[in-house]
This record gives sequence, structure tokens and C-alpha cells, in this order.
Amino acid sequence: MSVEIKSETVDLDGKSAVLVSVKNGEDIIGTCHAGLIHRSENAANTTRLFYIGNEPIANILCPNYGNKNSDKLISLCPGLQAFDPHIYEVINECFDKLNNDNPLPAALRDIFCLLSDGVYAVYVSDYYPTDGSGSFFWGGYNVSHEVRGTAEINRTIGADKTYKPCFLIPTQPLEYYKPKEMIRVGEISKTRKIHGIAYHISGFHSALLKGHYDALSCIENDIPFKCAVIEKITEPYTEIITAKPAAPAAETPEEGAAEQKTEDIAAAVAREGITGFRCPSLKIPLEAIPKEMLRIILTTPAEYKPEHFNVLNAKLGTIRKKSVSNNILPITILEKSEQMPDCSMVESAYAIKSLSDEELNCLLAGDVEHNGEVIVSPNFYSSIVTACNFLQFTDIKRFVDFSIAIMDNPELIATHEYVAKRACSLDTNKKLYSFFKNAVDGGETKYEKILPTAKIFVERYRAASR
Amino acid sequence: MAFSDLKPIKVGNNSSGDMYIIGGVFAVYTIGSQVPVVYSWDMAKLVNATRKELIYDFGDSEYRIPYKMFNTGEDALTAIAITECMQKEYGFHYQHDKRLFPLKSMYRECPPGKDFYTGEGVLDEGETAAAFIMLLNFRLMKFLWLVALLITLVTFGILQFTVGLTRDNILYLVPISIAAGAITSLIINIIAHAIARGRFKSLADADIASKEPITFVISKNGFAACESCVYQGRDLVPWNEADYFVESDKMFIIYKNNSPVAYIPKRAFEKKSIGGIADIIALYLEQR
Repeated sequence: MSVEIKSETVDLDGKSAVLVSVKNGEDIIGTCHAGLIHRSENAANTTRLFYIGNEPIANILCPNYGNKNSDKLISLCPGLQAFDPHIYEVINECFDKLNNDNPLPAALRDIFCLLSDGVYAVYVSDYYPTDGSGSFFWGGYNVSHEVRGTAEINRTIGADKTYKPCFLIPTQPLEYYKPKEMIRVGEISKTRKIHGIAYHISGFHSALLKGHYDALSCIENDIPFKCAVIEKITEPYTEIITAKPAAPAAETPEEGAAEQKTEDIAAAVAREGITGFRCPSLKIPLEAIPKEMLRIILTTPAEYKPEHFNVLNAKLGTIRKKSVSNNILPITILEKSEQMPDCSMVESAYAIKSLSDEELNCLLAGDVEHNGEVIVSPNFYSSIVTACNFLQFTDIKRFVDFSIAIMDNPELIATHEYVAKRACSLDTNKKLYSFFKNAVDGGETKYEKILPTAKIFVERYRAASR
Repeated sequence: MAFSDLKPIKVGNNSSGDMYIIGGVFAVYTIGSQVPVVYSWDMAKLVNATRKELIYDFGDSEYRIPYKMFNTGEDALTAIAITECMQKEYGFHYQHDKRLFPLKSMYRECPPGKDFYTGEGVLDEGETAAAFIMLLNFRLMKFLWLVALLITLVTFGILQFTVGLTRDNILYLVPISIAAGAITSLIINIIAHAIARGRFKSLADADIASKEPITFVISKNGFAACESCVYQGRDLVPWNEADYFVESDKMFIIYKNNSPVAYIPKRAFEKKSIGGIADIIALYLEQR
């Protein structure tokens, strides 16, 4: 049976989203369950596999019977070494089409043919080419480890909010990195509108199907790394809808429209069951999903083993627990990666909508409440940490002011070390430099905990300004 | 989750015209509505798998799906398997009649490994009834001797009381008493056999899988006795889910909480592998 690909643009509260359905897909790219590993009588880890063709790419170990709140342990396999050239060609062609102004579903059509059956959301988004903990993604998984931010349900953000995945997992092993290729791709990459194609795996992390060198180039040239992202829509969600009080009547009321809106609200409130289906970045109510696509979601397992699963399973012995490559990425890339927002910052940005100056002043005064409401968390230390992350991710200027105010307050000494390290991750900032320089030169006891970090920042700033 | 690759099942209700989809979620398409009502399994309050139908209770609504509505018996078994796996995952209340084979919620996704034995076959009524009788005899045997002895003594006593014991009739009264005891125990045995056969029949009627081909797997990682149309070859019941086993000349019967969870006929396997199978089972379970 031939592959059926259909795309639709749906309207979600004024924002449009592109959905693509795949029927009779080739199951060449995807994820599947790969079994259970018992740790003891009552504890076991489930494993998932991200595969391309006959090659397992990443082994994803999900602790506690695949608990959705737990971060995953990711181990890379040898990657695309014995990779089918047909898949390379398809991905490269799609990438070219993307950069030739083709609409997303049309440009990625051939990649969708390679996926498993289901409905996917596709969009363009900026990615941080790191593993979410400050390491450049290509070398970030050399050692098998638990990766922060890979839980399906993020504890900070919660199960209800949507978020955009923004960290990467490589699909090529590091031994494929060639400095010459980086120079060649670097120049082309600057002119590209879209630098990569990513397939969402879990939590904040997506596998980069195309664009490893573009990621290097973007980070080196301080260009946002734009990716076309494919996310599978599988998870049901339920929202308790409360009817809002009717707005005051307009001067020229449209009777029909008003009645229709009331009916819609009543139907939504009265409806039983779930509200719709979601992926990390989108929540789509059942009414908004085209009929045929909804039927595909309902009649397809969220994840299933491809026909060639036994081939993949036989290769699971190739999972790497540690690096086998001597390749070293440029030091500037590694340094810039460290300074990129990490998972904690991104989580905080999604967890908090805004922080007013009054609220920040309350935190500085040691209060966790403002006007009788908890600002961030009832725990003061947690509030400071989250506020720092949020400000660093959203507003550097306010972050610098806030962190200096904290470090200047001897009553908040328990938070000094953490805040200093956060501030130190900023590349160069004159205000921070002056503050840290005073702290180093002054030798006051209240700066005792930040001194080592302050010295590092001051030295780095001086070296950069030479 | 075990049986994670099972494809959702569509069932049409001929009388109401509704259509149900049982899979990762439970969806109901009612006639005339554009959008289905979709329930996630954490919304389920109770699912009841009776002899004739599946009843899904989602609090405000209850849906009854008779087995005859499914296109095939395989679809019905798949729907039951999906429901039981979801029960394991989401913990809703699940009621069911007695089963001949383990619930799917007992399975774990776990490959059988290198050393395993596999076989397939339909559970034979005669064989299983014989196993039931064997089990019954196993329990009744000591009791029957006692009954026979008791009846013998009682009969002897009654005869002595009514007829009176003399030198002439003692040669008649003793054999009559012994015969009474033997006949009574024989009658008890015949009744017990009838009960055992009846029990198997009622069990077989309650479990729609009783007439389906079953795949049996015995491995060091666990065992499986699952409808072949549902089994995917990668799911096993770990040995720690069972307590002990009983071996008859035709079957292995695996127990949990003093109730049989799986009847594994030896006939389903090659003759030469029976010894190996018995060794594996005996390695993990106590034999009674």
C-alpha cells in the first residue's frame, strides 16, 4: 500500500498550526519500545529506541517502568554508519526544499513518508544546539548519562502547559566530525533560513536528522539555530473549562455570532471525556482536529515496533556507554555552548509567566509572597533559583541587576554561590565586571562565598577586553 | 507496558449505530455527532468483562459491548487484552469471570531470552477435565479412605443393632459393611468427577479464549499462555507472579494464591522438550 500523506492547517485560538497525517508509513524513522530491564523484583526500567532505517541511533532508558516524570538515560549507538543512502538523499532533498521557500509540509513530505503512522505537528523553532546542560550536543552524549529535561512531564512546568523542545540529540557519532567540512558548511549556513531538521524524541530533546555542521556554524557565528521540527501527536489531555461571564453587550451586537459562541462554550463545558490531543508544543482540541486525522490518532498505537525490529534489536549490543572518538570540537564552540540557556532556565521561563519589579523586591527582602500570593514557590531558596533562571532566560539586564542585588545582601548569603555561578555564565557584562572587581579588590566578608567565581569572571573579562 | 503494539479495535453497535474504538484511549462515535467522545483510561471507573459483554463505566456514562458485536473473536480478545494492559497502567477497577490463562495485566514486556520452549494448541476439554479430576482426587484421596472406613463401621454398627451379630451371619455382615463403604466412596468419586467436568465446562464457557489457539512459552524469564492472535512473542509473566505448580501426566498447572493461573498442556510442546520444561518450572516454582 502506498503512503498517504495529508496536511492541514488548523486554527488554535488565532494561532495556526500545521498538522500532517501519515498512513501506511514506511516506519524507517521513529521510536519504539524495546523491552523491560529488571533492576530488582519491584523495579524495572523500560527502554525505547530511536532508529533510522536498520540502525538504532539512541537507546533511551526510562526509569521506574517508564515513569513520565523521570528523566531518561540516553546512550548513543554507532549512529548512521551503515546508513541506507536513500534515506540520506531524502533528508538532504527535504532540507534543500526547506531552504528554497517551500511550505513546511510540502518540503518535508518525503521525510513524512519514512515515518510511522500517526499525526504530526510541524513547525519552525529556534533550538539551542546543546544537551540542555551546557555541552554542545554532538559531544554531549559521548558518555551514557541521565539527561536533564528528557522527562515527558516536566516537574517544573507541570503536565498541563505546553513548551517548545529546544535541545538536541545527534544522529551521527562524533567520529564523523571533520573540521574541513565545518569550514565548507559554515559559509553556506549563514545564508540558510532553516539550519536543521529535528524529530522530537522526549521532553525538551529532539534528534537532529540534518544540520550537525550548521549547528556548529550557527553557534560560532552567534546565529539562532532554526530547525524544522516534527512532533508526533499522541497524548490525550483534559482541561476543565469554566464558562466566563458574558461580556458587556456591544453597540451593534451580532446576534448569530453571540449565540454560536454561547453554544460552543456550553458544548465544551458539557462534553464528557478528554479535551483533545497534544504534543509538547501544541494542544489541539478534538473539534479542531480534522476528522480523518482524528481517526488516525485513535486507531494507531502511539508507538509500535517496526517490521524490522528484530534487526534493530540484534544491534542493541552496539550501544556505547562511553566515547570511542578522539575528535575534539573547537573550544569556542564548547565555551559558547556553556553560556547558552540550560534546561533549568528554560523550565523556569515556562513555569513563570512574569516577575514584576515589586515581586523581585519582595524576594530581595526575603519574602516569598506578594500581596498575599506566593511569588514563585513557598521555598525561598527555590524561589531565588527559579527567578534567576527566568530572568537570565528572558531579560539579561534585569537578571544582572537582580543578581547583583542578591550578592550585595549579606542576609541572602545562602544563595550567593549559586547566583554568582549563574551570573558568571554570562559572557561579558560591564556592570557585573565592576561588581565582581569590587568584590575581589574590597575583600569584604559578605562576598566570601562569591570570591572564587568573581575572580574567574574578572580574569575572563580582562582577557576578552585585551 | 506489555502488548504495547496491539492495534486499537473498532467495534460497531448494530442496534444504536454507535462505533467504539478501544486502544490507547476509548472513543465513542455516536450517530449524528461530528466529534467523538474520547476517554483516557484514567477516567475509567470500572470495566467488567462478563461472559457475554464488556462493560466500560466512565462515571457519567456506561458502554456495553457484547462480544458478538466484534467482527471476529480475535478482535474481542484484542480488546480484552488492551483493556487489561490499560488496567495495569492506570489502575481502574476491573472485574472478570474466572480465567484459564493469566490476565494480560500480569505480563511484562520481556523477551524470552536464549533458552525457551514454545508450543501452540487449543486447550482440550478431556485433558483439562482430567487435570481437574486429578487435582480433585489429589485433595479427596485421604478424605475418601476415611469416608469409606467410617461408612463401613457405621453400616456394621447398624447391622449389628438391627440384625444382631451371631456366628452364622458375621461372614455376611462384614463383607456387606465393607461393600457399603466402597460403594459410598465410589459414588462420591463419581459425583466429584461430574463436578470437576462441570467446573471446567463453566470455566471454559466463561473464558472466550478457551476455544482459541493458545501460544505457550516457558523460559527462564517467565512463562506465557496467551491467545496466539494476541501474543507478540515478547511478553512474559515473570515467575515471581506465580506461587507453585502441579504436574499431571498431561499438564502443568501453575498456581497463584491457591488458584490456577495457567493450564499448560504437555501436548503443545515436542515430547523431547517436556523434561527441559519441567526443569525450568521446577527451578522457579515449588512443586506440590
